[in-house]
Amino acid sequence: MKKLSRRSFLASSVRAALFGAYATSGSAFAQSAPWSNWSGGQTCKPAGRYDIASERELTSLLRNTLGPIRPVGSGHSFSPLVPTDGHLVVIDQLNGILDSDNDKKQVTVGAGSRLGDLGAQLESIGQGMINLPDIDRQTVAGAIATGTHGTGVTLQALSAFVTSLRLVTPNGNVMDIDGSDADLLHAARVNVGALGIVTQVTLQNRESYKLKKREWAAPTEDILANFDELAASHRHFEIFPLVYSDYSLVLSIDETDEPIGAIELDPQPSDDASIAESLGLSDNPSPAERRRQSNATASRIQPSENVDLSYKVLSNVRNSLFNEMEYSVPIEVGAECLREILKTIYDQAIDVNFVLEYRYVGADDDWLSMSYGDHPHATISIHRAASEDYRPYFNAIEPIFWKYGGRPHWGKVHSLTHRELTRLYPRFEDFMELRRELDPQGRMLNPHLRALFNA
Amino acid sequence: MKLTPQKISALLLALLLSGCASEGPSAGGSFISYPFRNDVADAEVMGKWARSCALCHINGEAGAPVVGDEQEWRRRLARGEREVLENVLTGYNSMPALGYCMACEVSDFRAMIAYMAGTNP
Repeated sequence: MKKLSRRSFLASSVRAALFGAYATSGSAFAQSAPWSNWSGGQTCKPAGRYDIASERELTSLLRNTLGPIRPVGSGHSFSPLVPTDGHLVVIDQLNGILDSDNDKKQVTVGAGSRLGDLGAQLESIGQGMINLPDIDRQTVAGAIATGTHGTGVTLQALSAFVTSLRLVTPNGNVMDIDGSDADLLHAARVNVGALGIVTQVTLQNRESYKLKKREWAAPTEDILANFDELAASHRHFEIFPLVYSDYSLVLSIDETDEPIGAIELDPQPSDDASIAESLGLSDNPSPAERRRQSNATASRIQPSENVDLSYKVLSNVRNSLFNEMEYSVPIEVGAECLREILKTIYDQAIDVNFVLEYRYVGADDDWLSMSYGDHPHATISIHRAASEDYRPYFNAIEPIFWKYGGRPHWGKVHSLTHRELTRLYPRFEDFMELRRELDPQGRMLNPHLRALFNA
Repeated sequence: MKLTPQKISALLLALLLSGCASEGPSAGGSFISYPFRNDVADAEVMGKWARSCALCHINGEAGAPVVGDEQEWRRRLARGEREVLENVLTGYNSMPALGYCMACEVSDFRAMIAYMAGTNP
């Protein structure tokens, strides 16, 4: 009952915030639409929207207008990267494959292309992306700019597969950036939309391929004890630790030549979040009772296997809206950090059902990448249903990430500013300097980015 | 520029072939053959629709009402266009706020709702 009341309150609060004027205005339908991110956790009332149809239109716009702008992709960032009272710049008309080189297995795509739309297009020319994130609704520009990544100890974030990109700077100049200026490329790939607007991207792909996914449940400690070996022996390996439980959902994905199809050993919900939601907890159970119920449910989960084209296996449609916080930590302390988070949830009886996510991501050289450096990182995600206030939960867990030297995912909830970030990212001050150089007026900043970059 | 039913069918076929509806085997035949009454949505709005709403409303992903399913849309619109519009702007069930259309203004959403419901004159 308490949960329903809170959800109702939150829902009505969001509606009130967005529709305050709408509900009382006689000319409501003439109003500009408010903006909201995917989860509804970030909102704003932009002065307007620029729906860009061409690069030329964009350069003209930037040269001939004033005022704050923020680029927006699919609105999948949980952090306030987008909100502005200026104008939004929408680039989803800049989409599709613009050029391809099948010898090099590279394509140049419009930066507004959605990852999910590229899968079939690439397959038709015999290519596949090397890795993909769990959700593929994002635009290429947004995924790269935020350092979005998939899973795999040897597989880097998507940004690392960008061999070149075209950036239109805030003053309307066009910059083609590639490996001939490696430093600039490493700076411009994970750019949080602060250096300008990316219009096209060349991606390093590979030949198209199939993957075999295996899912099962296992005791979390059994998996953690061998995580390095498991991560090294599978192309992708990760776990979704159940809260208030000794179990995790385990996922491994490997390349295969087997025929496409599912091998359902025992039908189970395909959406990990829905599994967590189906744990069927009674009202206000004690942590011990929750653990008993969760373990009982987890122990009944049977393994399943599935073979499909890579882009269909790597990404999923998430029908449950949620907010998320994700940090990367050095692999050496990853398991310890995860254990402390699970223990904190238990000890503080935090009312959450969503699974966590624990995986490795390969090292790269992009200045603002979560995995910047010489070694892979472990990433840990926590989630909360979009209908619930995520702040108490995330506020309780975030200091644990800091304790282990965590670096935040730019598209996910975090509260760090330049003071901490300059210590976490060795090239952060270099990025701030480049940002000042390209956008001296701070046209592309919003309050969140001003805090990040001390601007 | 107005889109004719033929152009709409061509657009939808292109979307299907590009993989948008690859996981919805029933979408192809039943969807394209719908006798849309409305051909008034202009190309700009339809372009926005194709890049956003179409992701789910072509094949009914996550329970989304399928474009052209007049009975289902009539049921939803019985509570008033304003309620449907509010659902689009704030999100509803699995549909995120704005239905993935970051470029859409209120007038665009109204046109899209009418297009999908077949209520344009």
